[in-house]
Amino acid sequence: MASFRKRNVPLRSGTSALSESPTSIKQELAQGVRPSPLDGRLTTSTGTRSLDGLLAGHAGLALGTSLLVEESGTTDFGGSLLKYYASEGVVQGHHVHVLGMNEGWGRDLPGVVETSKSARKEGNSSGDGVHDRDTSRKSSDGGSGEKMKIAWRYERLGEFGSGSRDRNSSQSTGPSTSNSGAIFCHDFDLSKRLILPSPSLMYFVPSTSKPDFEFTDANNSASPFNTFLNHLITHLSASASNTVHRIIIPNLLSPALHTSELSRPESVLQFLHALRALLRKYSAQVTAMITLPLTLYPRSTGLTRWMELLSDGVLELAPFPSSAIATKSTPGASTIQEEPPQGMLKIHRLPIFHEKGGGGGEASGFGDDLAFTLSRRKGVVIKPFSLPPVEGDSEAQQGGLEHDHGKATKVDIEF
Amino acid sequence: MSSRIPPLLEPYLALPPEASLILLTSVLGASSNWLVLRFLHTALINPDASSERQGENEAKVVLVSFMRDIAFWKENAKRLGLDLDKFASKKRFAFVDGLTRLFLPRVPGGRVVESVLSGPDLADVSLEIQRSIQSLKEAVGEEKIVLIIDQLDLMLAAGGDKIRAVNIGEMLIGLQEEVHSTILSLSADYPLVSASQSPLEKDHAALVLNIAHGADFTMSLRLLDTGTARDISGVLRITVGANIERTVQDIRKRIEEKEVLYFVGGDGGVKVFERGQ
Repeated sequence: MASFRKRNVPLRSGTSALSESPTSIKQELAQGVRPSPLDGRLTTSTGTRSLDGLLAGHAGLALGTSLLVEESGTTDFGGSLLKYYASEGVVQGHHVHVLGMNEGWGRDLPGVVETSKSARKEGNSSGDGVHDRDTSRKSSDGGSGEKMKIAWRYERLGEFGSGSRDRNSSQSTGPSTSNSGAIFCHDFDLSKRLILPSPSLMYFVPSTSKPDFEFTDANNSASPFNTFLNHLITHLSASASNTVHRIIIPNLLSPALHTSELSRPESVLQFLHALRALLRKYSAQVTAMITLPLTLYPRSTGLTRWMELLSDGVLELAPFPSSAIATKSTPGASTIQEEPPQGMLKIHRLPIFHEKGGGGGEASGFGDDLAFTLSRRKGVVIKPFSLPPVEGDSEAQQGGLEHDHGKATKVDIEF
Repeated sequence: MSSRIPPLLEPYLALPPEASLILLTSVLGASSNWLVLRFLHTALINPDASSERQGENEAKVVLVSFMRDIAFWKENAKRLGLDLDKFASKKRFAFVDGLTRLFLPRVPGGRVVESVLSGPDLADVSLEIQRSIQSLKEAVGEEKIVLIIDQLDLMLAAGGDKIRAVNIGEMLIGLQEEVHSTILSLSADYPLVSASQSPLEKDHAALVLNIAHGADFTMSLRLLDTGTARDISGVLRITVGANIERTVQDIRKRIEEKEVLYFVGGDGGVKVFERGQ
């Protein structure tokens, strides 16, 4: 219940309680955690800045919630999202718990981009995460066009962003803001490797301990789900109340990782329900991200729908077929800097936002056509999808429509 | 917040008649939580505050929640001006926690909440709910008890082979005998009610249809068919059940079939309006 009182404080502290409360919150906040500009609940970054911006105005993944990332086809963009999420956790000193993978997965995490980090830190001495965006906007003038895009994305958050900026600046005028200059979301480079700290805070729980040749009772506590839950319970109850944990479950129910026994509804739904219970119980410490192969478990099945209902946020990645990507780069790519989108992203549910009833959050992106790109340096970038300007229509191109789709030909656009 | 109870919904949210069953259905992205909270509000707080007739329209509430913890309900009830702790101490509200320990082994250091379901055994679940009902009955005051069960269908989906739609239905009939009125919220997503391929889907469809037929009226929430809009959260359709025709005449007067739009604001306030308004 202490978490409740804490959450309310930033909202009240706008003017009157400025002297005492801001410092006390700031000291309590763990690294990589900041209050939501919307209602002050604590959030942490997913490691993907544009994804943070989509989460119904909370500008981060609220602690105590989970995100289910579904992906169709054979690509693994969802896996990249997980890696950024894990990397962000490692960099922030969070405990990271991974189900079904071994230590090798942890050695493959993308590393932090050093240069932009230092530049960012420089410009960022005045405040916390929300200022982060401002600096990224300013520092991007000479830099890559991508940062401009991110800044542009956040302009849609305008109203609340300005409000929260006021609030935060009023807070930071208070004495000794302890996490000023802290980075909420880092930039990662896929070609670099994250160097894990030597006493690593990553924990890997294998999904199959040994091949089950013995005729033992399969559905007792030997199930990997239960092993994982027990692992989580022991760690969460043993660690201090200000540590932050990230739960990562790549490719849930994939036959490559999990036995078919686990995909029985009672098995996986009980696990997700228990995970939900854990998230709620430690609602100021834990977040979770899960990926699910949609091709094996289509959204039209009741089982998948229940998995979605048991998660707080549901995103669906629908990558374009690889042929589309190949043809895409040919038309008009020379004129436009923008990378072609690699797939569409659909938001089916957002944490907190839909639990309340769905509405009132700014710039949720829910229902919008969103596209994503994955690139080495920029990571996963999610932005509104739009058709490219018609070839030869130079006015429209100068008008600043920057998204190149390319798959749509002239014929598609003519109405 | 302009109005806690949307005027258009007042007749539906008022204390339901005796032995009634109300079904709320939701889909992914259009949750029924705000509606459950409104039912809580009208049951616990008398709309016309004349103190002499107090007890006339007030009731006690047992809330069983399989998907959300008490913290969620408390937080959002507070936005409606409803202090659940206060009502709990007055023995007018009881919460049965179906999330925290239903499938989780023991969590050390857990607070002792008044009532926690600790296993997916229907007999135990039923017993625990009965116990909460009894504890409210024993307390002084109004006898009317409204039972609200949030997402009972989880038991069906995650409970395993032993729990079928029939078992849940039987348990419900047992519980309905004990209370004044029952409000159920279930999921009615397309894959769950229309596919009917796997046992999970078949059972779910059977349960939802069964309850919908027995319900006095159904309030179903869904997303806007034509896409999303910034100022609309979804569509609420109210359907009158079959058996209302032959039972209470009184309820027929105030219940009419209707389809309205709703919008849940960031502060938890809800606007309900007709299409085109």
